[in-house]
Amino acid sequence: MKSFWIIIIIGFFCITWIMTPFPFQVPRGFPPPVYDFKNNHRSREGFELGRKLFYDGKLSKDGNFPCSSCHQQFAAFATYEHRLSHGFNNQFSFRNAPGLFNLAWEKELNWDGGINQIEVQPLAPLLDPHEMAENLGQITIKLKKDKSYPFLFNKVFGSPEINSQRILKALAQFTASLVSSNAKYDRMKRGEVRYNNYEQKGYQIFQQKCARCHQEPLFTDFSYRNTGMEIDSTLNDIGRMRITGKKEDSLKFRVPSLRNVFLTFPYGHDGRFPTISDVLDHYNTGVVQSVALDSGLKKGMPISSDDRFYLIYFLETLTDSSFITNPLYSDPAAGVMGTAPVDIHR
Amino acid sequence: MIRNIKNLIAGSTIRNIHKKLSFGLIVLTLGGTGSSKNINVDPILIVQFKAYVHGEPLQLNKKYQNPFGETYEINRFRFYAGRIAPVYSDTTFKSAYSSGYHLIDFSDSSSTLIRLTVKAGAFNGIKFLVGVDSVDQVSGAQSGDLDPAKGMFWTWNSGYLTFKLEGYSPLSKEPAHMMAYHIGGYRHTYNTVWNVKLYSTNDVSFVVSNNNKVQVEIGIDLDYFFDGTTPLRIKESPSCTTTGEMARKLSGNFIGAFTELLITSRP
Repeated sequence: MKSFWIIIIIGFFCITWIMTPFPFQVPRGFPPPVYDFKNNHRSREGFELGRKLFYDGKLSKDGNFPCSSCHQQFAAFATYEHRLSHGFNNQFSFRNAPGLFNLAWEKELNWDGGINQIEVQPLAPLLDPHEMAENLGQITIKLKKDKSYPFLFNKVFGSPEINSQRILKALAQFTASLVSSNAKYDRMKRGEVRYNNYEQKGYQIFQQKCARCHQEPLFTDFSYRNTGMEIDSTLNDIGRMRITGKKEDSLKFRVPSLRNVFLTFPYGHDGRFPTISDVLDHYNTGVVQSVALDSGLKKGMPISSDDRFYLIYFLETLTDSSFITNPLYSDPAAGVMGTAPVDIHR
Repeated sequence: MIRNIKNLIAGSTIRNIHKKLSFGLIVLTLGGTGSSKNINVDPILIVQFKAYVHGEPLQLNKKYQNPFGETYEINRFRFYAGRIAPVYSDTTFKSAYSSGYHLIDFSDSSSTLIRLTVKAGAFNGIKFLVGVDSVDQVSGAQSGDLDPAKGMFWTWNSGYLTFKLEGYSPLSKEPAHMMAYHIGGYRHTYNTVWNVKLYSTNDVSFVVSNNNKVQVEIGIDLDYFFDGTTPLRIKESPSCTTTGEMARKLSGNFIGAFTELLITSRP
């Protein structure tokens, strides 16, 4: 009888100690995610550890470049107003930092799709000598020396051991949880608000001209396309061809999501377009012909000034202000305890 | 007097514990010997990978000449071997166990020796994977020999290398005359991952029964890496560090270098 009670008590502690349920909610209308946390059981503790790591400069060589230095929440986790981001020793990154949201739906990551799973994505910036410039051994040593990390890793993984796998899995708990699904567009789809006439007209133009590649509801079809952007001779970025080695993939880049597009400027894989107008100018008159050019652009894609006027109204409805102010995703060191706004992710 | 009693009590308790402990030990030992007598333990297969140049064991940082007369030295040589299992003479017999992935690193001799538990039977070969299978390439963050900290993972084009062979050659036009073959790629066209099946070269088949162990040696003849299906001249190609046709071809050369399977000790 005594042992029975001991088992009950131990069992109770195990349950309360190991997991705080933190189910991943797929927003209404979204397809099932690619990353399903199956081998990385999602818990509140795991998410919080990933969040702490995301905002911690210890992950970079000189301490100045946490993930959040290039992925700023107020810019939907892109780098605000920067063509290229800053990295170790006054260097620039190779490409424009994309916004981080709805990553759980991406089967490949990066502008060229070179990264095959979200858990291994952080290795690229962590180890790139132009970005965080650190190595995995050093990161592990620094985290082990820290007062709080061994305790937190113990809470999440059941032992205080810190290794690259655990660091990466914790980071994925955070990054894969960044869901943006509460823009005016989403609320319109859910029937909570209505578009005004300008927005509605813009939505129609969007569906005619843009939706072939920027497919709803994620506003990308995750394909790689050559949109007729001339190669920048200082970067010599050949895009998808760098990964596949195939000529037909020359200068192909991933179709970026248009969600939060007003916050993620400048645009393009190298940030060459300062404003949305510049992007529309490019489609209107700037497309450079080449063999690998996207078939939909071969005859050009005229966008009249009227189209542009309405399109911009529509694109503004893709800004998710509850995402960029959600305290759940903000710097934990800022002392704000995470509570999601009530209306999110329904 | 009181102290004596205390000592006595303490002493007896310690003795009691001691007794209990030794009793426990005896039970354990009996249990141990009993089980090994009654229960059959699966045989152990020890696989040792050895690299050779001109028939001599490879020494790192030593000058050699490849079959084309080009001088070179190797300072780093690693590859992944996975799912190692015996090839049984009875082809209907499916191997019950196969191993995970092992990083064979010739600067660490302990990594070249792999100990496996196998099913008893007669077998005449060993099969294994050179490189990391596409399923395991896309499984996210891994640990152990697949920890990216082992320096065998491409971060910008995710995937584990199949092998890494680095060194110097005066014929290389790369900086510091470096020679670097970082061979990887698991996607269809440029796959560098191979299934290898080697049959014993010094014995037709060998029977391994329970409670026994057998040791085999797999020889890698680096001369064939250069003088393989695709002749590799250092002067022309001192490095290959991206996926593609070249990497695919060099992985074929590398597989061709797995030439020997010797049974080095058996019951």
